[in-house]
Amino acid sequence: MIGDIVAIPWVVVLIVLPLMGGMACFLFPTISKSLGLMTALAIFTAVGGLSWQLVEEGAQRYAIGGWGASLGIDLYADGLSLLMLVMAALVGLGVSVYSSGYFSRDKANHFWPLWLFLWGALNALFLSADLFNLYVTLELLGLAAVALVALAGGRGALTSAMRYLLVSLLGSLFYLLGVVLLYHSFGSLDIAILAQRVEPSPAVWAAVGLMSVGLLLKTALFPMHFWLPAAHASAPAPVSALLSALVVKASFYILLRLWLEVFPQTNTAFSQLLGLLGAAAVLWGGLMALRQTRLKMLIAYSTVAQLGYLFLAFPLATSCAWTGMLYLLFSHALAKAAMFMAAGNILRYGGHDRIADLDQVAQRLPLTLAAFSLAGVSIMGLPPSGGFVAKWLLLEASMNSGQWWWAIVLILGGLLAAAYVFRVIGYAFTQAELPHEAGVVPARMEWTALVLAFVAILLGFISPAAFELMGIGAPFGVGCAG
Amino acid sequence: MTANGQTGKTFRLLLVLLLTVMAVGLGYAVLELHSSAGGLSKQVATNLEASGVSNPVTAVLLNFRGYDTLLEMAVLLVALIGVWSLGGIPDYRESSPGPVLDTLSRLLVPMLILVAGYLLWVGTHAPGGAFQAGSVLGAAGVLLLLSGWRLEKIFAGLPLRVILILGLGAFVTAGGGFLLIGNVFMEYPSALAGELILMVEAAATLSIGVTLAALFLGGRPEAGLDK
Repeated sequence: MIGDIVAIPWVVVLIVLPLMGGMACFLFPTISKSLGLMTALAIFTAVGGLSWQLVEEGAQRYAIGGWGASLGIDLYADGLSLLMLVMAALVGLGVSVYSSGYFSRDKANHFWPLWLFLWGALNALFLSADLFNLYVTLELLGLAAVALVALAGGRGALTSAMRYLLVSLLGSLFYLLGVVLLYHSFGSLDIAILAQRVEPSPAVWAAVGLMSVGLLLKTALFPMHFWLPAAHASAPAPVSALLSALVVKASFYILLRLWLEVFPQTNTAFSQLLGLLGAAAVLWGGLMALRQTRLKMLIAYSTVAQLGYLFLAFPLATSCAWTGMLYLLFSHALAKAAMFMAAGNILRYGGHDRIADLDQVAQRLPLTLAAFSLAGVSIMGLPPSGGFVAKWLLLEASMNSGQWWWAIVLILGGLLAAAYVFRVIGYAFTQAELPHEAGVVPARMEWTALVLAFVAILLGFISPAAFELMGIGAPFGVGCAG
Repeated sequence: MTANGQTGKTFRLLLVLLLTVMAVGLGYAVLELHSSAGGLSKQVATNLEASGVSNPVTAVLLNFRGYDTLLEMAVLLVALIGVWSLGGIPDYRESSPGPVLDTLSRLLVPMLILVAGYLLWVGTHAPGGAFQAGSVLGAAGVLLLLSGWRLEKIFAGLPLRVILILGLGAFVTAGGGFLLIGNVFMEYPSALAGELILMVEAAATLSIGVTLAALFLGGRPEAGLDK
């Protein structure tokens, strides 16, 4: 029995399931909600199956069609892919449950197929070991994400969706040009084979530059974040949640893979630059978040700041720094999804998301406010949350490597986060001046936000087990002691 | 000049500077390229026998890297769902075209369908294949739409959607079906590979053609029973 479960090619199941679910939802729009929820549960189970397989058998390589790299395309799953897949499954299940209460019937018909295809693209991206295949998954991901932003309707959403589409295409094309240069020079598209063959040359430098710029544009690293706040804030709440939690992390994942495996010799001046941009993002995003008057814009700028932290690990480049950074990425995904869901609930309840008028949400939507506060704890990096463990590891890594200035950025960023989270909570408790009509918020929307926020806190307690799982296949050197 | 115009001008100058630097850098990198590492054409040639087709392009697209093509079919479908989700159902009444367009489309459409079929068939051993055939089929659809033809409402619901997912569906079924009998995902037994590829390609051609025509129309056709 156990042998059977381990023998199933879960990597393929994880890619095929969402595609089939998406097609089914497209064919039968009237029952798309139940089909979508069933697919979400199935994908969640399949991720469990894959984790079991990885624990039993170590990192997996799967040759599609039996050809093997370089002729065919390989799938590859190790601890790093697993972390991303688990993140997508947790947030994805949450978003699915939340959306089943959020969308009107007409919107839901479009939402479900797009969302399941987006999920399929994410899974395919986290499992791919082939540079061109990664490009195809990026395209699928980008198109589905743009369509989901536009789902909100209205002028603001359409404008920001259009800008998002153009930025996304530009980023993909930069990436593709880099892939072409690498293929021409080394005759393979497989990441592992390229890692052995790559040697410095002008073409490789050009490829590093092009692919990094393209992916950074999609990841919205400061100062290329200009498209993010508008797109993430104007999308429907569950879409904002998955854009901030998952979609920006996908291009970051590709960059990280390239950085760890294909371009390890390019890590001096360029990695310092990435660290500097990351630090600027942390401070700028935090300051801009403080200045916002709309809740969803505040959360979107907080994403800009949190993405900055991820790049602080590049100049440090120790196993501890990578582990901490990835744990931050993981806990941010859960906390930020919970925050956007909470904002969606407030918007549904009060009909607006002006921070100054969040009167007494505490009494009327206690679960939502609890979710927002718990998520805030993880975003600020207070113990015992997942965000705390992650920042602790990053602090330790920066002290140990003697680059103490990154530690200052970490602390300042945490203070800024505390300032903008408490600003929202403060307004939520103030006395109401104008009574207004209240919308109905379905219970499942409140509970999903709370559960996701709670899991973000829980990550702080289960970190040793999580680090063990992340270390499967040693994606970033031998494990971090701590 | 206003301050706004001034910043616009500086911005444009900066942009030109940045693009020049990039162009020079890229030009240098391309000039410095050594001769190609040879790519994978040799490997493709060695394995062509086992792929089931004799045209290397088709072999790569449908067999060696068929997984990429599978995902590309999903991209096409997502593009259409995205366009449909924007709403804006277009004016969907039948109209009568002028005599020239009418005659032309009567002559051309059967021809285009024939050409699409030929391109699909010839793809196994010569340039051609699903994407080319699909585009020609799509052109036929566009011509029909231009000359005022409209899909009947009764076909605009489930039947249309079935044809739209046919390509992706065939890929997933053909790839996943052999998984159940113990093969690797998308591993076609070489005795059946030729036929399987042709079937998948035929389904993909239909889907591509109809998707392109539907994208041309812009909005989601109104479904429902005809009165």
